[in-house]
Amino acid sequence: MTIGLNTFLIVSGMLFAIGILGVILRKNTLVIYMSLELMLNACNLALVAFSRYNGTMDGNLFVFFIITVAAAEVAVGLAIVVALFRRRQTVMVDQLNALRG
Amino acid sequence: MVDILFYVFSAFTLISALLMVVSPSAVNGAMCMIATFVGTAALFVLLEAYFLAILQVMVYAGAVMVLFLFIIMLLNVEEGEGGIGKEKWTVAASVVGFTILFVLIVSTFAGSGHLPELAPAIVVDNPEGAVDGGFPFSTSVKSFGYSLFSKYMLPFQVCGFLLLAGMVGVIVISKKSSEQLEAEAATAREKEIG
Amino acid sequence: MTVTQSLLAALLTPLVSAAWICFFLRRKGVLASCVSVATAAAICVFSFMALQGSQGQTVAFAWDWLNLGNFNVRAGFLFDGNAATMLSMVVVVGFLIHLFSLGYMKGDKARARFFGGLSIFMFSMIGIVLADNLIMIYVFWELVGFSSYMLIGHYFETEEARAASKKAFIVNRIGDVGFLVGIVFAYWHFGTTDLAELEALVSVNKELISGSIAAFLMCGFIGKSAQFPLHIWLPDAMAGPTPVSALIHAATMVAAGIYFLIRIVFLFPVEVLDLLAYLGTAVALYAGLCAYGQNDIKKILAYSTLSQLGYMTAAFGLGQPGIAFFHLITHAFFKALLFLGAGSVIHGCHHEQDIFRMGGLLKRMPVTSITFFIGLLALCGIYGLSGFYSKDAILIAGEMNDQWVFILLTLGAFLTAGYMGRLFWVAFLGAPKSESALQAQESPFIMLLPLLLLAGLSIAGGFTDFWPEHLGGLIKENLDSLHHAQGYGHAHHVVLIAGSAAWVVGLVGSFFFYGAGAGEDRLERKFGPVYNFLKSKLWFDEIYDSYVAKVQQRLAGLLSFLDIFLIKGLFVCGSAAMIGLVGICARSLHVGSIHGYVYWFLAGLILFWVAAIGLF
Repeated sequence: MTIGLNTFLIVSGMLFAIGILGVILRKNTLVIYMSLELMLNACNLALVAFSRYNGTMDGNLFVFFIITVAAAEVAVGLAIVVALFRRRQTVMVDQLNALRG
Repeated sequence: MVDILFYVFSAFTLISALLMVVSPSAVNGAMCMIATFVGTAALFVLLEAYFLAILQVMVYAGAVMVLFLFIIMLLNVEEGEGGIGKEKWTVAASVVGFTILFVLIVSTFAGSGHLPELAPAIVVDNPEGAVDGGFPFSTSVKSFGYSLFSKYMLPFQVCGFLLLAGMVGVIVISKKSSEQLEAEAATAREKEIG
Repeated sequence: MTVTQSLLAALLTPLVSAAWICFFLRRKGVLASCVSVATAAAICVFSFMALQGSQGQTVAFAWDWLNLGNFNVRAGFLFDGNAATMLSMVVVVGFLIHLFSLGYMKGDKARARFFGGLSIFMFSMIGIVLADNLIMIYVFWELVGFSSYMLIGHYFETEEARAASKKAFIVNRIGDVGFLVGIVFAYWHFGTTDLAELEALVSVNKELISGSIAAFLMCGFIGKSAQFPLHIWLPDAMAGPTPVSALIHAATMVAAGIYFLIRIVFLFPVEVLDLLAYLGTAVALYAGLCAYGQNDIKKILAYSTLSQLGYMTAAFGLGQPGIAFFHLITHAFFKALLFLGAGSVIHGCHHEQDIFRMGGLLKRMPVTSITFFIGLLALCGIYGLSGFYSKDAILIAGEMNDQWVFILLTLGAFLTAGYMGRLFWVAFLGAPKSESALQAQESPFIMLLPLLLLAGLSIAGGFTDFWPEHLGGLIKENLDSLHHAQGYGHAHHVVLIAGSAAWVVGLVGSFFFYGAGAGEDRLERKFGPVYNFLKSKLWFDEIYDSYVAKVQQRLAGLLSFLDIFLIKGLFVCGSAAMIGLVGICARSLHVGSIHGYVYWFLAGLILFWVAAIGLF
């Protein structure tokens, strides 16, 4: 394979940028949440690439942990979204503005 | 051959990610998201991280996204949001932010010399143990086992505990409070009387 | 009772009385006056018990009052010969004036407040007399200032009394600032404010004497004893009831300034003493002249008091504190007598105070007139009366030390005899010139008794040899040293002739110039410009007024502007506005929309990234 580390990092960065675009563009909490997962995934890709090109297992192990934590986080986060929906009858962030100064 | 596969999979991943972000329907978005995860898993395969590729498909594309879809359908929040935000300013700001970030990323990594162009390291087929306190890169799942139970023992345990805490947390959060239950019971009684 | 206990009792009884009157007897004038007079009598008893107990020994007693680190203030008594003499004078004169007030204030509605004020004054005055350190003296100094303010403003319904009380208070404050600075300075310089310790320090090392400390402490004296340039409050203070004028503004409080100087005499270097000598001489002469421009019987006496205070100051300045003290005591007797006599006249004439509207009082008020005349003679220094001995001693000291002081003081004595003669001939002789003078009648016995007793003291007060054994130690000592000084014989003769000439010419001249029972001021008629000049009192009030209006008021306006604009506007409100502005900005960041926060996050991220890859 002649693809270098930087090429993988560019792909990873683009994925991350798309994730951020999702976060700032969308109003649906669930979609925003998915975009966040996308950003985590972009990090995973970068980590694996680092691990591969560095010749050590540490990056892979980190990805392993990230996947674990992300799974737990998604479970809790979705539970929160459900609780929020129960109380406010909406998941649109523009209507969830109780923090307005 | 591998190079072509890389470009194909990269394009697949990025396009489906973009589709996820702009798709008006949350369900469609979730489907695109699954495609993105699969594409990432393919990139993992190209990086010879087979175990992680499998985990990615199983945990992300399988478990997490199914949970997402389930919640999306449960809450039925499709109506009301016509895809991307309607406000011009939101769109403009998002696009500007995305562009700046995009330019930064490309300018950082594309041949500007910030990071050395490394060739892929040698893959050890059958790891025997730690070398200089770390483990050499290996396609074998065995190396995960060595790492998790030696160098990363403590994070591993903490992860287990975190999963337990997450489970308890989910139960506590999604349980209805006693007041809500009482209120529901009251409305039920009213219906009966009516 | 030990001496200390007697002194404590003498000090605290009037305080208790004042508190009692203030809290419980405000509407019970008769009872309040009885309590106050009984208190004054009790003070006399306690003081003489203390005198008996001390047997001429110095009694010092102190306890810790404040302990702040290595700074400690002690409160205590220093009951030495001078304090004993002063205390005796204060309690005796004070008691007699209390007695007089019983009659004088009989019809007054606010009697309780008046007698409460007298009690608090007695407390403060005894405090000054006994205090053993500068800080304690200062505390009581302010207290007499307060009681003076309160009593001058007794008739606060009148504009004059209100203004006079404020004037007295404010002018005294000016002097007291200097006093306070002096105390701080003295503490810094000597490390103590205790009088006995100060004296010990200074006697060991003469180098320690500092002119500036003495000058600052002198400021307090100038304010309280109404010396130039802070003399302006005393004539105005006559707006108060006459017993108050007698007690506070003639006999005791204004004399407390001199007493204070005598207490700290060891701190004075020669330069400051010289200054005091000339200051006193100038005031004696100036006040004597001003008295000719006054028609109000009390104001004439007030200027006379000023003038006599000038004599005391001059004597002190000439290095004869004992003689100053001597004059203080005799002056207290005859000036209290004169003021009480004036009070009796005012009381008899239904509050008529203009001497040119009196006349013929000798026939209608014989006792008052005769006692007043005795006081007058004592003031003028007629041979054999108390004023003669003390004034004579001052003139002798002047003759021996400084010829100019002597000449000017003799001139002052002539002026004194002149204006007092004017007062007496016009007001007491001839025919009544107003309805109120026509209906004048002799005051009741309770008012005449103090007059008679004070007349006795005015006659006999000068014979120091007959004074009680333990009183007036310093005075006797000083007189003795004066009598044995070089050149005393010559000076004595000169003074005897000059002094006698002064009062003879003054009294006789005024009799012929003004005429007995004159209905108008001949000086005003014949020499209008001269009279007006004297009446203007050298325009001090006007100068101060214009200073206050033109300079001080503008400065205050400027400061007020700075305060409002700079401190309040810019610093206080400005900083508040800044914080508020920051708050508004920060608040506007809290849009409540998650996107808003993400934009900021993104902006931060981009910034960080740009910095990290070194784009700037």
